[in-house]
Amino acid sequence: MGTRIRIACGVAVVGLSLTACGGTTGNSSQQGGSQGKDTATVAFRTPNWILPISAPGFTQGENDIFSTALYRKLYSYKLDGSSPDNIDPRRSLAEAPAVSDGGRTLTITLKDNTWSDGKPITTKDIQFWWDLVTTNKDKWASYRPGGFPDNIEEFKVKDDKTFSFTTKKAYNTAWFIGNQLNRIVPLPQHAWDKGDPKTTFAALTTAAKDPKSYATDPLWKVGSGPWKLEKYVPNGEVVLAKQDTYSGPDKPSLNKVVLRPFTGDDSEFNVLRAGQIDYGYIPPANLSQKSYLESKGYTISPWYGWSITYLQLNYNNPKTGPLFKQPYLRQALQMLIDQPTISKVIWGGMASPTCGPVPSKGEGCAYSFDPEKARQLLEANGWKVTPDGQTTCEDAAKCGEGVEKGAPLAFTVTSQSGFTATSKMFAEIKSQMAKVGVQLTIKEVPDSVAVTPACKPDESKCSWDMSFFGSQGSWYYPAFASGERLFQTGAPVNLGSYSNPEADKLIDRAQFSSDASALQEYNAFLAKDLPVLWMPNPVYQISAYKSGLQGVDPQDPMNLMYFQDWSWKS
Amino acid sequence: MNDETRDETHDGAHDEAHDDGTRVRGLWRQGLEVFVDNRLALVGVGIFVLLAAFSFLGPLFHDSDQVHTDLASVYLSPGTAGHPLGTDGVGYDQLGRLMLGGQTSIVVGLAAGLLATVVGTVWGAIAGFAGGWVDAVMMRVVDAMMSIPALFLFMLMAAIVTPTVPMLIVIIGAFAWLGPARLVRGEALTLRTREYVLAMRGMGGTGGRAVRRHIIPNAIGTVIVNATFQIADAILYVAYLSFLGLGVPPPAANWGGMLSDGLSDTFSGHWWLLYPPGIAIILIVLAFNFIGDGLRDVFEVRLRRR
Repeated sequence: MGTRIRIACGVAVVGLSLTACGGTTGNSSQQGGSQGKDTATVAFRTPNWILPISAPGFTQGENDIFSTALYRKLYSYKLDGSSPDNIDPRRSLAEAPAVSDGGRTLTITLKDNTWSDGKPITTKDIQFWWDLVTTNKDKWASYRPGGFPDNIEEFKVKDDKTFSFTTKKAYNTAWFIGNQLNRIVPLPQHAWDKGDPKTTFAALTTAAKDPKSYATDPLWKVGSGPWKLEKYVPNGEVVLAKQDTYSGPDKPSLNKVVLRPFTGDDSEFNVLRAGQIDYGYIPPANLSQKSYLESKGYTISPWYGWSITYLQLNYNNPKTGPLFKQPYLRQALQMLIDQPTISKVIWGGMASPTCGPVPSKGEGCAYSFDPEKARQLLEANGWKVTPDGQTTCEDAAKCGEGVEKGAPLAFTVTSQSGFTATSKMFAEIKSQMAKVGVQLTIKEVPDSVAVTPACKPDESKCSWDMSFFGSQGSWYYPAFASGERLFQTGAPVNLGSYSNPEADKLIDRAQFSSDASALQEYNAFLAKDLPVLWMPNPVYQISAYKSGLQGVDPQDPMNLMYFQDWSWKS
Repeated sequence: MNDETRDETHDGAHDEAHDDGTRVRGLWRQGLEVFVDNRLALVGVGIFVLLAAFSFLGPLFHDSDQVHTDLASVYLSPGTAGHPLGTDGVGYDQLGRLMLGGQTSIVVGLAAGLLATVVGTVWGAIAGFAGGWVDAVMMRVVDAMMSIPALFLFMLMAAIVTPTVPMLIVIIGAFAWLGPARLVRGEALTLRTREYVLAMRGMGGTGGRAVRRHIIPNAIGTVIVNATFQIADAILYVAYLSFLGLGVPPPAANWGGMLSDGLSDTFSGHWWLLYPPGIAIILIVLAFNFIGDGLRDVFEVRLRRR
């Protein structure tokens, strides 16, 4: 019996004792010894891909940050609206493109920059990158058939500093700059080129797959970024040191940045609570400890992503698909989601309403929370609303095409397990929907994307109704937030198979038209048409950094980290 | 329980007293006396009765809305008007939720524990009585299933199907019967060689009758004691699954899920979301363990006063 009693106590006592351990606040001395340091320690998963050409399976965010610290991209972006086409002129290696030929040709001029070994960055380095990706595009994670570089008719080098792309058809310049040119990273041709692009790519890939040699392999010694790699422990700590020969304007203030991985959120948070790292994050479940960390000398900063969050509807579900195809029903369901209150109360202010496909501040949504209006809408369309019961279709002619008399409004939402706020959010949504007789069954699974694929109505895997995978944001955009991958008919991430000819037309316009208002028109249409149900958009991360650390904010909405901006308050 | 059973359990042989009602009442009384002598067992019964009454009768005295959330009333402190134990992160009354959670935990615990006991007993009795290749095959199935961690299987099943109360009962019951099966099989191996079983077979009794009338009834002591532990374990399994976010979805509740939610609120000082479900789980599991100990004493012949 003793063993059983111990087991019995296990579930509860661990929790209870944690309270005792963790509940004490405010009596620890403030960790204020950071000032004057020249190093910052950052909670950061160990990157495992150094080559600035992304490879399938190695596209994690930390790899992009790591790679960008060592090799600058042709264009950096900032989304504060301060510069045309969102180009960050300070960090970019080239001037903004000059557009000609009816928008088909973009001529780009490189600025004066050098590699860490003193050699200038020239169009040879762009040509080298181009040759590598065009001859090995099937091994490039950013490649999509028909996309870059397939959509390029001609790549032409004019001189050491100038090159141009001519596209097969005219694109919206902002789209092309934000979503295509963002992939270009000049590579050190003089140090890496072995003659044949295939051979060179194979050699580089082989070297990139050997992380233990990252810090020692001469291949990785020549970089263009503000940092160089001083130490690399596979699955362990990584140390970046200031690149003394860095030619860019944003020279690092710190001498070193230590990237320290943790086995999980709990271990990271315990170290953060102990004040042993300078920059970390608060796992969403521990948001309530915000004030404790502030008392320990940390600044808490929500990191807003360039993202949207939504509840995917399966239009191809043979049973519930015909229901979702009724615009009035989508509107009624949207009116039952109290985004502002959920964002404030359940997400503790660390989320904001999503109003449409283009990220926004979450104000002025087309459909505000209004259960009464939702009820009226359903009743006006032939539904017999039974509050806290089961609403059913009473008049099939009014309910809409494919909806039979007696059909119930009952859906199963496949959500993510492991996120307390998400569970609470769906408890609230279920409660609101129950008030108008819409039965929502919540099924939590570890990977909701995997079990809710895009499907055809006759496939067995098409039985899912609604899918949520936005506990940390559903979709992060590149600089130009167009919807060709999300909401266009047959788009790769259009999991619910939404299809609307008008939406397709507007998405095409946003991608190909030179009309600057095309994106707004697309956003306005889809915000109202509701291809998905818009949901509170959580922040990418709740960052916590030592108050003496400057330059962390504003954090990049496109999820990059610029350690060179960081410094300690003197 | 029939007369014959009690008699056989007592001394392992038929005797003339098997129809003697007085003798049976005596056995019951003796058993009750032994049980009552075990003070912890009585405490266990008391705790269980109190928790069951709290969970099932409590809502009659404390009415609360456990269907609709109320985001305007989240994290109200205990003692707030209408909320003696405060409210949780979506505005549910915590006392009412504790009652609702108790219903799920007790129902699933009892049903899954009993299901596991019944399945395990039948499986073990057949395997032990039949022996030979039947026993070998049946017990290898048990061994194979036991080699996979139960919690892993529960998580897998809970991830595949939408957890509901009946589903949880089936999932837990479907994997928790392995222990009783091994236990009863051991008993059956001994019982099948007893004279009265051999005599019955010699008189043309079937194997099914032997299992039904002799093996299972004579192993009933072991089975009942084990059942209490199975119930306690099932309540814990529900708690584990809910703790991992794989329990019954809202607005249903159970103590494990409440504990899990409460844990995430630990550091914000919302102690009323953590301690009540935690203490309730400890109490009910202890209660069943105490009862199990008491029942073990009851079925332990040597402890009876003659």
